Amino acid sequence: MFRKILIANRGEIALRILSACRELNVRTVAVYSEADRNALHVRFADEAICIGPPRSSESYLNIPQVISAAEIANVDAIHPGYGFLSENANFAEVCEASHITFIGPAPDAIRLMGEKDKAKEAMAAAGIPVIPGSAGVVPDEDSAKEIARDIGYPVMIKAAEGGGGRGMRIVRSAKELIPAFRTARTEAEQAFGSPNVYMEKLIERPRHIEFQVLGDKHGNVVHLGERECSLQRRHQKVLEESPSVAVDASTRQKIGKQVVDALKKIGYSSAGTMEFLREDAGNLYFIEMNARIQVEHPVTEMVTGIDLVKSQIRVAAGEKLSSVLPPVEFRGHAIECRINAEDPETFTPSAGRVTAFRVPGGPGIRVDTACYADAVIPPYYDSLIAKLISYGHDRAEAIVRMQRALDGFVVEGVKTTIPLHKRILADPNFVAGKFDTHFLERMPAAAAKAK
Amino acid sequence: MAKKPTPHTQGSSRTGGVDLQEVERLLEFMAKHGLEEFEYERVGFRIRLRKPFSQPMGFSRAVSAPEIVVAGVPGVAASGHPGGAVAGGASGSGSFSGTFASGSSPSGVAPGEAAEAGRAAGEDVHVVKSPIVGTFYAAPSVGGEPFVKVGSRVDEGQALCIIEAMKLMNEIESDVAGEVVRVFVENGQPVEYGEALFGIRAHRKK
Repeated sequence: MFRKILIANRGEIALRILSACRELNVRTVAVYSEADRNALHVRFADEAICIGPPRSSESYLNIPQVISAAEIANVDAIHPGYGFLSENANFAEVCEASHITFIGPAPDAIRLMGEKDKAKEAMAAAGIPVIPGSAGVVPDEDSAKEIARDIGYPVMIKAAEGGGGRGMRIVRSAKELIPAFRTARTEAEQAFGSPNVYMEKLIERPRHIEFQVLGDKHGNVVHLGERECSLQRRHQKVLEESPSVAVDASTRQKIGKQVVDALKKIGYSSAGTMEFLREDAGNLYFIEMNARIQVEHPVTEMVTGIDLVKSQIRVAAGEKLSSVLPPVEFRGHAIECRINAEDPETFTPSAGRVTAFRVPGGPGIRVDTACYADAVIPPYYDSLIAKLISYGHDRAEAIVRMQRALDGFVVEGVKTTIPLHKRILADPNFVAGKFDTHFLERMPAAAAKAK
Repeated sequence: MAKKPTPHTQGSSRTGGVDLQEVERLLEFMAKHGLEEFEYERVGFRIRLRKPFSQPMGFSRAVSAPEIVVAGVPGVAASGHPGGAVAGGASGSGSFSGTFASGSSPSGVAPGEAAEAGRAAGEDVHVVKSPIVGTFYAAPSVGGEPFVKVGSRVDEGQALCIIEAMKLMNEIESDVAGEVVRVFVENGQPVEYGEALFGIRAHRKK
């Protein structure tokens, strides 16, 4: 086991890693920017080193500063948390060169997963279903017809250089195809200077389902079930749960096995998440892999009883999964609400001083936070101030516990997304498990004011 | 954290300055009663002292240092010692090295803010801070003569020390011309970002 770990992060995840280290009897070194002088990770770590001014690029993202801190504190490992340097292959390599263990996957794996196209190719080659589509640019109208016939309607035509919805066309039948193909090419040409388009199957009413995995450095990989993360706003997850109501035991087993086999092939170690889109018909398609511990890892911890962060540290230290993990079993249901310092309607960040902070507790409630009364939420970093996690023997119990906990969660001085979560938890479609990634867009904002 | 007011209001109502002896008495008071944090207020004067959190390592001084915030006094004078002046004041674990700041910020004080206090004291002491995390070396070579000592006259741009970071030796230059009045760190000591290195009494510009 490591002697001393530097935590290259801030906020709740820094405290989460600190807790894991404390339980493993490993000493901790916090690093912090000038804006975080009074942050709890600084206070609770065994040592703390200021690494720069508030701006992340000059502190938490500043590789030379972080490595220098690791060297003067003489640590043997660095935990990057999520965000910041967690998926920076170059940083992982610098750690290696400095003889410091990077608690995460090998640099090559990080690099592969960072290039979405290559990751998809590699996963497809390893037997994971990916969204069917053209292999690259669709050259002409005849090819377009052929590809669309192969993958099946509806299809989506997308500008190769594009983004933000421009140069995108949904095609539901063969007779719409050629006009749509021409328009998309013209739009792409005008908007992005290149008429190149590609084509893929349109996933209707998609749900975002992801599988948690953990690999050791001896070629062993396990999956720890799925999380449902469909409740998103602008691709930012808002509420997550495990298990997903849309995944039954046989699907879990089937996809889980595919995921494990694929990751064994590429020799993946550490914690990671394979993200899928689930189409209405029930098929799951791989979209990308996150090569890090994720914000929503607690819901998996709750239903498996496995401490993911401790496990991640232990496999990084060379332990085998067989000695780290008990037999994997799923029990009960867990939900996580991300409490952000944001306006719950407009989602504009709400930085400032927290004047009151009261966290709920009681049966089945867990709160991961680095916030406290009188804390100042700096404007420089992400707006997550707490993760409220509820656990129940089934989904219904997890929901009522979450509702009760949200009512007892008091934050004053800054606006938070607590009112939004109350609305989600009260929504009949949410309660019925009927939702997809567009759920929050459709939810009427005015409803908040109704009461 | 224990917070205790004190009836101690002895001394004339100096509205324009801080008496170092008084601060030392307060530190002794904290040590004697095992206080972690201490706030003291009287008309026109407020001071907050905070002990380091359990940090046995001595290297991150600005972190393990208690914050000494003097607030509410316009143009507060912090004596001729802009930082670390009360070292060794009290406490069994970890030494005190304080930073003074004028202004009304009730929370953390960057080590470098000592500079402002120094100026406010009319001494025009400029604090050179470490721009990087690394190991401080006073001399260009092991066992060599230090670049500067207390009393050295330095020009702007003159090398003051070396900070080693990631096997690279970075020369730290003075950003003012003047006389070195204080060296805050010891040879071979690790330093963090923003840590005070030297106090330099700047030559007054004509």
